[in-house]
Amino acid sequence: MSATSSLAGPSFSRRTLLAASATGVAVLAAGCTSAPGKSRPPVTDKQAEALAAQVGVQQALVAAYSAAGAADPAVKVAVAELARQAGEQLTALQAAAPTKRSASAAPGSAAPQGDARAWLRGQVAATATSHATACLDQSGPRAALLGSIAAGLRGQDRRLA
Amino acid sequence: MSDGAPTTATETAALRAALAAEHTAIWGYGVVGAALGAAGRAPAVAAEAAHRDVRDRVSALLADRSAAPVREQAAYALPFPILSAVDAAALGVVLEDGVAAAWVRVLDQAALRATRELAVGLLSAAEVRAVSWRIAARKTPVTSALPGLPPTK
Repeated sequence: MSATSSLAGPSFSRRTLLAASATGVAVLAAGCTSAPGKSRPPVTDKQAEALAAQVGVQQALVAAYSAAGAADPAVKVAVAELARQAGEQLTALQAAAPTKRSASAAPGSAAPQGDARAWLRGQVAATATSHATACLDQSGPRAALLGSIAAGLRGQDRRLA
Repeated sequence: MSDGAPTTATETAALRAALAAEHTAIWGYGVVGAALGAAGRAPAVAAEAAHRDVRDRVSALLADRSAAPVREQAAYALPFPILSAVDAAALGVVLEDGVAAAWVRVLDQAALRATRELAVGLLSAAEVRAVSWRIAARKTPVTSALPGLPPTK
């Protein structure tokens, strides 16, 4: 049977298209916020500290969006949705952090000189790299969350290009 | 007995699911490319090539583990009719979002650092392609805060 004749068949649906990923993803999201009764991998002190550090990294990015917007009103308008998403990522990271200890002061949010958009893009790319690197030494939902945020920021980098 | 920590078995299962998603994307990009016409086909061709490369890498990885292979289906029903270039771009979004979710799942289930490194790179690549397709499909927002993760509300 040819592929063309199979197009009309019932073998594939949107559900099927996403089936490879749907199973367990809800569990994954719940795991990021410590779902009760669900066995999740233990968090080492080192992993907890590393995740707290990434909260600080993301706080710096949120500050960078504010700084870029303050430096250039046109940029502020253009990146409003990206800034909102950076805040959403920060909220998710804070919820996933196993302790509420505050991260170290966020560097890199000084007012940009010159091209605010280009400066901001550099901040986004650096933050993405930081989260992607940190993801490698985490596991379970913490790794998934950091990886997802890193990917989201790669998308922002693409948008700012 | 398990403490919930990822194991080689959970990782392999997630990789098999990711391979199934890659098969789907490869097939789907054939449809996207056909709908875009010669002038606009290049992004679909590039995306299909990228997913073929990933398919080959993951297949080899699973073969090294003697894991059961994941075969592509002969065809798949489309999630919606593809009647225009915008529809084709929207299908590109669906394909990349599906792949992204699969690679997030691998991150959640991976036991090995090298597997997480593979997954985070492929997840990022999928989201970058998805941004381009969302722009072409005139979807907003064009970026996703948490690609591959389900909405929290």
